[in-house]
Amino acid sequence: MIQLYNVCMSYQKEATALQEFSLKVPKGDFLYLTGPSGAGKSTLLKLLYGAVKPTRGQILINGMNITRMRSWRIPMLRRKLGIVFQDFKLISTRTLFENVAFPLEMQGKKRYEISNKVYQALKHVGLQGKLNRFPLQLSGGEQQRAAIARALVTDPLILLADEPTGNLDDEVTCEIMELFKGANARGTTVLLATHNREIIRRYPRRIVALDKGRLVDDHTP
Amino acid sequence: MRRVGRNLRQTPVLCSAAIGTVAVALMIIGFFAIVVINVQQVAQQWSREIQVVAYFDKVPDTHKVQQWKTKLEAMAEIERVQFVSRDDAFKRFKKRLGADADLLEGVGTDFLPASLEIVLFKDNQNKLGVESVVQQLKQIPELADVSYEPEWLERFDAFVGLLKVAGIVFGGFLLFAALFIVANTIKLTLYARREEIEIMTLVGGTPLFIKMPFLIEGALQGIVGGLLALVGVWMVFTLVLQEGLYGILIVTGTDGILFLTPPQQWGMVFCGLILGLTGSVLSLRKFVRI
Repeated sequence: MIQLYNVCMSYQKEATALQEFSLKVPKGDFLYLTGPSGAGKSTLLKLLYGAVKPTRGQILINGMNITRMRSWRIPMLRRKLGIVFQDFKLISTRTLFENVAFPLEMQGKKRYEISNKVYQALKHVGLQGKLNRFPLQLSGGEQQRAAIARALVTDPLILLADEPTGNLDDEVTCEIMELFKGANARGTTVLLATHNREIIRRYPRRIVALDKGRLVDDHTP
Repeated sequence: MRRVGRNLRQTPVLCSAAIGTVAVALMIIGFFAIVVINVQQVAQQWSREIQVVAYFDKVPDTHKVQQWKTKLEAMAEIERVQFVSRDDAFKRFKKRLGADADLLEGVGTDFLPASLEIVLFKDNQNKLGVESVVQQLKQIPELADVSYEPEWLERFDAFVGLLKVAGIVFGGFLLFAALFIVANTIKLTLYARREEIEIMTLVGGTPLFIKMPFLIEGALQGIVGGLLALVGVWMVFTLVLQEGLYGILIVTGTDGILFLTPPQQWGMVFCGLILGLTGSVLSLRKFVRI
C-alpha cells in the first residue's frame, strides 16, 4: 500500500528531516511511527499526504508515485486518505455535521448521500446527538472523535494520524484508539505518529522508530 | 452559490468593508470622471469656435468668390466656407455693439473688409490643421490678411493634451490604489478563513473548488460596490456637484452639466466587478497552496 525508497527530506540545507528512509507498509497494516520530537514523524506523514516533496527518493501510495505527481493531482491523492491531527483542525464556525460533510462536499457527492454518510460516521464515533453543535461547544475528546469521523467518512484507503491523542487524557485516548482499531479492522491501513509509550504498550502493533530522520527500529511485538 | 451565501453571512463586517472600499474607490473615480467629462465638453465647445478668417484687400466679384469657395471647400481640412460681405460685417459689428451702436453714426458701411470665414473639420481643429490651411490660403494673392490666432491655438492644444494625460495618470493611479485597497480587504476576509482554506486543501479540495466561492464572492462584492458607487455619485451629483460645477463652468459658456452616460454607468459597475475579481485572484494566490 505504501512504499518509500531512500527518501531524503530537508527543509533547509543544514537541517535534514529524513535521511535515506525506506519503508514498506502492506495493505491493512497498523503501525506506530514513534521517536522523540524532531525525529521526522510529522515530516514523514506530510510527505505521504503530499504537503511537502522529498529532496530525493521515491514514494509510492497504492501504486502511484507521488514524488512525480503534479500538484493538481494531489487533491485526488488526498481523497483516498484520511488525516487526523493533534489539534483536530475542525472549522470553528461550522457545525459538527458541516465539518464532517466537508470532504464529501469536496468530492461533489449528492446531498442525500452526504446526509446519510455523515450521520453514519458521527453515529460510529458516538456523536449522532450533537450534529448541530459547534466544535468549541464540545470537549477535546469529542472534537477528536469528530475529526476521526471526518477522516473516515470517505472510507479512505489509508488513515494518517499525527499525535491524535497528544491533547487528551487516558480515558479519552482509549476511546480514540478503539476507533482506530475499528477502522483498521474494516481494512483501512493506519499510520499513527505518537511518542506515547503507554498507547504502544496497551495496543501493541508494528512499531517503526525514527531518530534524527533515520529509521532506527522496525519490529512487531 | 450555497457556499458563497454562507461565507457572506459568516463574515458580514469584512464583506461590508470590501463592498465599502470598492464603492468609495469607484465614487472618487466617478466624481473625477464627471469633472473630466464636463471640462472636455467645454473644450469641445471652444474647439467649435476655431476658424480661419481670410480678409480681402478689394471687394471681389460674386463669380470669383464662388470660385474660391468651391476651391477651398474641396480641401480635405475644410468643412465649409462662408463669404461675409462688407455690409454683412458692418451689420454684425453693429449688432455686437448693442446699446453702443450709435457710436457708428456717420461712419460709412464699407469701412470693414469683406472676408471668407473658414470652418475646419473636427479632426483638423488644432494648430497643425489650421496652419496647413493658412499656408494654402496665403497662395491666393487677393487675400490681404489671414487671421487664425496661433498663440490661442497652441494653448488650446496644450490644454487638451494636459487634460488627456491628467485623466489617464490620475484615473490609472486611482484604479491602482483602489485595486490595492480592495485586494488587501479581501486578503483580510481570506485571512479570517485561512483555517477553512487549509482544511479544504487537506481533505482533497481542488484549487478551483476552493477558489471558486471566493472569486464569486469577490465579483459579487465588486458589483454591489459598483452599484452603490453609482447611486452615491448620482446622489452627490444631484445634490451638490451639478450646481457647483455649473457655477464654475458657467463663465466658459457651457450649456449644462453632464452626468455619466449609460455606457459609462455600466462601465462603472463592470469596473467594480473587475476590481473585486482581480482583488480576489491576487489574494488567493497566497492563501490557496496545495
